[in-house]
Amino acid sequence: MTRRTVPTLILTLLAMIFLPLTAQAQGDRLVVSLSSDPTSLFLPRAADRTATNAALPLYDSLVWINDDLEIEPALAERWEISEDGTEYVFYLRRDVTFHNGEPFTADSVVATWETGSDPSNDYANFFDAADLVEAIDDHTVRMTTPEPNAIFLTTLAIQWGMVPPAYIRDVGIDAFARNPVGTGPFRFVSRTAGDRILMAANPDYWRDGYPKVSELEFRVIPDASTRLAAVQTGEIHIANRLTPDQAMALERVAGVRVVSYLNDRAYYVGFKNVGAGAGTPLEDPRVRQALNYGSDRFGIIAAIFAGQAEPIPGFVIQGNLAYDAEAMPPFPYDPERARELLAEAGYPDGFETSMGCPADGYVNINEVCLALQRTLAGIGVEVNLEFRTTTSFWSQPQYGAVGAMFVDSWSSTIGEALPRLEGALVPGNYYTAWEDERFAALVEEITLTVDRDARAALYREMHELMRADPPFIYLYQPTIFEAVSERVQGYAPRAAEEYYLFQVSLD
Amino acid sequence: MGRRPSPHMLRYATRRVLESVLLMLGVLVLVFFLVRLTGDPVSLIIPMDAPTAQREAFREIMGLNEPLPVQFWRFMSGAVRGDLGTSLRRRGEANLDIILQRLPATAQLALAALAFAVLVAVPLGLAAGMRPGTAIDRLARGVGLAGQTIPSFWLGMLLIVLFAVTLRWLPSFGRDGFASLVLPAVALGFAGMGQLVRLTRSAVLDVRRADYVRTARAKGMAALRVSLRHVLPNVAIPIVSVLGIQFTYLLGGSVYIEVVFAWPGLGSLLETAIRDADFPLVQAITVFISLFAISIHLLTDLAYVALDPRLRRA
Repeated sequence: MTRRTVPTLILTLLAMIFLPLTAQAQGDRLVVSLSSDPTSLFLPRAADRTATNAALPLYDSLVWINDDLEIEPALAERWEISEDGTEYVFYLRRDVTFHNGEPFTADSVVATWETGSDPSNDYANFFDAADLVEAIDDHTVRMTTPEPNAIFLTTLAIQWGMVPPAYIRDVGIDAFARNPVGTGPFRFVSRTAGDRILMAANPDYWRDGYPKVSELEFRVIPDASTRLAAVQTGEIHIANRLTPDQAMALERVAGVRVVSYLNDRAYYVGFKNVGAGAGTPLEDPRVRQALNYGSDRFGIIAAIFAGQAEPIPGFVIQGNLAYDAEAMPPFPYDPERARELLAEAGYPDGFETSMGCPADGYVNINEVCLALQRTLAGIGVEVNLEFRTTTSFWSQPQYGAVGAMFVDSWSSTIGEALPRLEGALVPGNYYTAWEDERFAALVEEITLTVDRDARAALYREMHELMRADPPFIYLYQPTIFEAVSERVQGYAPRAAEEYYLFQVSLD
Repeated sequence: MGRRPSPHMLRYATRRVLESVLLMLGVLVLVFFLVRLTGDPVSLIIPMDAPTAQREAFREIMGLNEPLPVQFWRFMSGAVRGDLGTSLRRRGEANLDIILQRLPATAQLALAALAFAVLVAVPLGLAAGMRPGTAIDRLARGVGLAGQTIPSFWLGMLLIVLFAVTLRWLPSFGRDGFASLVLPAVALGFAGMGQLVRLTRSAVLDVRRADYVRTARAKGMAALRVSLRHVLPNVAIPIVSVLGIQFTYLLGGSVYIEVVFAWPGLGSLLETAIRDADFPLVQAITVFISLFAISIHLLTDLAYVALDPRLRRA
């Protein structure tokens, strides 16, 4: 080494430390935290709620679910549904262009369907809901579904973000996902992996007067305590997914308000009448009722969730179509009644069984499993817990996995219980471990019933059936906590944790 | 240098390179099978209510339906050619590209942490070693102990609460200008700083008893000049030798710190990849970091031998 090498080396190192950093301007920019880095900004590949929330501002669909959870026109001005409920004709708006200048036409809808159903997409199944999408003319589209589909329009609203046909066919899905283009309130500006996504207001947005801010920035902040700190310092305006303790700590902090709402996610213990549960006492409906009476869901909520969750009566929960708090009370905690039912079923001294648990798979789930074990021991049922890592727990169809029972949860993004009913009660589905023709038939009927009121009646019937002969122990639905700067107006997150930011403004 | 390397030296270098290659192969095997012990990624990626046919189609596209030995061969032959595969979650993106995007942030943080550690530890250790038993020595020993006992992620949270939330001096997260580098660099570098203070102090204590230091003193040279001209150059050797090793520890330690400070580097990428069961990406990051660490150790070892004649015959 010469005399000069050392200073040069030091200067180079210092340059590496300081140079790539630039300060950032704020102004009229809404900054929102994300708890993880989105896997993709192409909606069919946006793996989880965090990713879809980051992608949604870029796109519009033909229809939209408004804040009252009603379906209303978006890129389609109106639509007609055939008598038999399998054919939809959409009449499209004529004044919409994509961020890249391509006009929005019927061909866009066809391209959205074609690229969305690509088998390399996580959510290809949402696009298989239609078996044909064809352009009748430039502004009219016909879609056919294999059979009547109660949630077809909902699926369109949530998952079918319209894409520009020429661009996506030219560059392919992978490149599109890196530089996404839609018709949405914000257009994509830049993304720094693991760090931030910057979007700018779409000046030609078809909803007049929206969006309300000129820039939208998502910041990836994996740690909840850091999100909490960042909203307190004003570095971000919306901090999502806080714990109840953190939310309580914010109550005395000026400039920040706490937003809380019940999550549309049912936590439950699934019984199995196949696999390890077959031929065990669990097959007797009185036993399954007894376990519902003998599970202290109120105690679990008080002790483990500091009261920040609600007991659920079944799979139709608060926020769902047909939910009725008066008519649908949760099972009371009644160990006396539980022991009576067990005795009637021929197990006066209880019995031994096993339960699979996804270790750390959900907030506090390990504690919930342990609490269930203790509370069931109180009615003489000895539960052997089988903890597995999440990847191993969900690695195989649930009927083949560990335990005669298992703890899990199921969310719904459509304001109805259908996804969890379909996923957990239709034989042949991956997570169905309770096979009963009556359940399967009723779920099928709900799926085929397009009329909302008729569907609500079916949900009520389903609820009664699932109370009398419970295939699950119904546990709780958690409260979601977020912190929002007082400058933020018009922020209305929904029960499935999704939000549409075009209505949000900054004071 | 410029002299012909001795046969001893050549034999030693060859042996160390071969050992490193074997070690790297071992890492590849271990990583491949360890991630697969955790279960099937498809069940975590494809939505719960998707039909079985979609699951199988996806498995096929991603090559996850192939027998393990075939997947292993693909992985190994790719890795040897520098192809680390594509991510399961960020479909269509090469793992190496994803890693290279994140590397500058991690390198920057690790270098800043190292700079912080050296700039605090060396002067403090030097002062302490030159004046054992004084207040500055007690301070240095305290700092050394604190550095080696306080967990870095906890220190990180503490720094955020104090300097970002309470005092509002520095940003609480992210990579946004020099100010945002300060807290994560201090949190990450603190442990290494503790070790360096102790190392410098004890090295100085040894050197200051050496004859040439006593001579310089006896000649009436000023204390500061003695420290800088005679003591510092001689304690530099052990310090520099520890720095290489420290740097690889910093890369590993950055997983916690990057998550706490939402620093968009390799550490937070690894955390996400593990949580997402993105096997190919976990493999790629681990291989990349191991390759880096093994190379640094190899270079350090070779540099020692080249620099210190006493080691050549060892």
